[in-house]
Amino acid sequence: MNELSVSRRWVMGLYFTVLSFGIVFLHLLPLDTLPARWVMPDLLMGFAFAWAVRRPEYVPVLLLAVVFLMADLLLQRPPGLWAFLMLLTCESLKAQIGSLRVTGFPVEWLTVAGMILGVTLAYRLILSILLVEMPGFGLALMQMGFTILIYPVIAGVTHAFMGVRKSNPGDLETLGDRA
Amino acid sequence: MAKDRSNNYDYAGPLRRLLFVVLSLVLIAIFLVWRIDSPRVERFRLHVTDRIVPNFDWAMAPVTGTVNLLRDFQSYQRIAEQNQELRRELRKMQSWKEAALQLEQENARLLDLNNVRLDPRLTFVTGVVLADSGSPFRQSVLLNVGVRDGLVDGWATMDGIGLVGRISGVAQNTSRVILLTDASSRIPAIVQPSGQRVIVAGDNTAAPPIDFLENPDLIRPGDRVVSSGDGGVFPAGLLIGQVAADPGGRLRVRLAADYERLEFLRVLRSYGSEPVRDSAGVVAPLTLTEQVEGTASE
Repeated sequence: MNELSVSRRWVMGLYFTVLSFGIVFLHLLPLDTLPARWVMPDLLMGFAFAWAVRRPEYVPVLLLAVVFLMADLLLQRPPGLWAFLMLLTCESLKAQIGSLRVTGFPVEWLTVAGMILGVTLAYRLILSILLVEMPGFGLALMQMGFTILIYPVIAGVTHAFMGVRKSNPGDLETLGDRA
Repeated sequence: MAKDRSNNYDYAGPLRRLLFVVLSLVLIAIFLVWRIDSPRVERFRLHVTDRIVPNFDWAMAPVTGTVNLLRDFQSYQRIAEQNQELRRELRKMQSWKEAALQLEQENARLLDLNNVRLDPRLTFVTGVVLADSGSPFRQSVLLNVGVRDGLVDGWATMDGIGLVGRISGVAQNTSRVILLTDASSRIPAIVQPSGQRVIVAGDNTAAPPIDFLENPDLIRPGDRVVSSGDGGVFPAGLLIGQVAADPGGRLRVRLAADYERLEFLRVLRSYGSEPVRDSAGVVAPLTLTEQVEGTASE
């Protein structure tokens, strides 16, 4: 392991933490206390997926667990369940990274869309099995659709402005990793 | 090189997988504990919120302020129309003000005549809204008053005019208010003037429907809905809103409180009313045996 890459990993981990706190902060702003007719896409999920697909080493599993558990606690969700599902999907995305690196963005989008769909359905299924009171399905579906639609934008921002890009075999940094 | 890389992966793989499994189990355990013993975990959640959210206050207040300023700015475009509208309303209000003043005087006179004493303990604490629930599926706000200010679970919260919700969860410096619009909110109420007892049940829409209504024929849109105080948790007589019928014919409450701008909320201190415990005994002359016992004890 190279000193540079280790420190970069820490910096990017910190970056992700700040990013997620920013998103949660945005959600918590008391702007609209009326019940919403439409919902924001789940940005936190989108960014977590985009980062996990591009640079799994920047979002280690421990960081993901802590961030999503905090989000669960702060955003009044049943604590633990959503975090667990996120961990599961992010890890399975990381496992597919070899094949995703070769194929283009459409395949990545399809994969992520499938994951979002699966996660939303599984979440509601588990909650309904455990008889937890749930809000209407319409809003959840809308949020899911928005998140899938906005994923290309999230991926673009991640790529262009955050500098989180897929590593190629010839990259300086990956070389540095082994140098 | 490739070999080096795979070695690296093999070294990290099992550890990483172990960590993943452990973390997953921990998260599932937290979820199950929440499902089994929800109050304890909710208290923990409140403590976490209490620690974190007030720290963000310095950033939240300016951002919220700026966004609200921009929204106000949009409404400046319609300023001429609004001015006309306000003048019209003002004229209407002046006649109402006259009526209200007369009623106030009359009320004061009647209270004086009857020697009525209002409960001196019915006072309030005012709190600032720090944050909302952060999720479109839950309707609650976080206030910056808590145990420190003597708040107790279950107290009613109002804005200047109408009921907003009830305190559900207090931490040291913050407390959470479940709004009437939340899907888990149930408030016993009376519809005036027919006096029917109903439940105002939130369902995540802006106007909560009326539940457990005995006779819908006695109720008209525009009737006032006030809290009834049934169950002893909630003070009675707080204005909730007016009855309105939605296009489907279902009766709902149009809330009196201004839910678009919840900035300052009043938390009403209520220590509950004393219940009447014993049933009425018959006041009768003592029986012979009691008289004998009475003289014997003397």
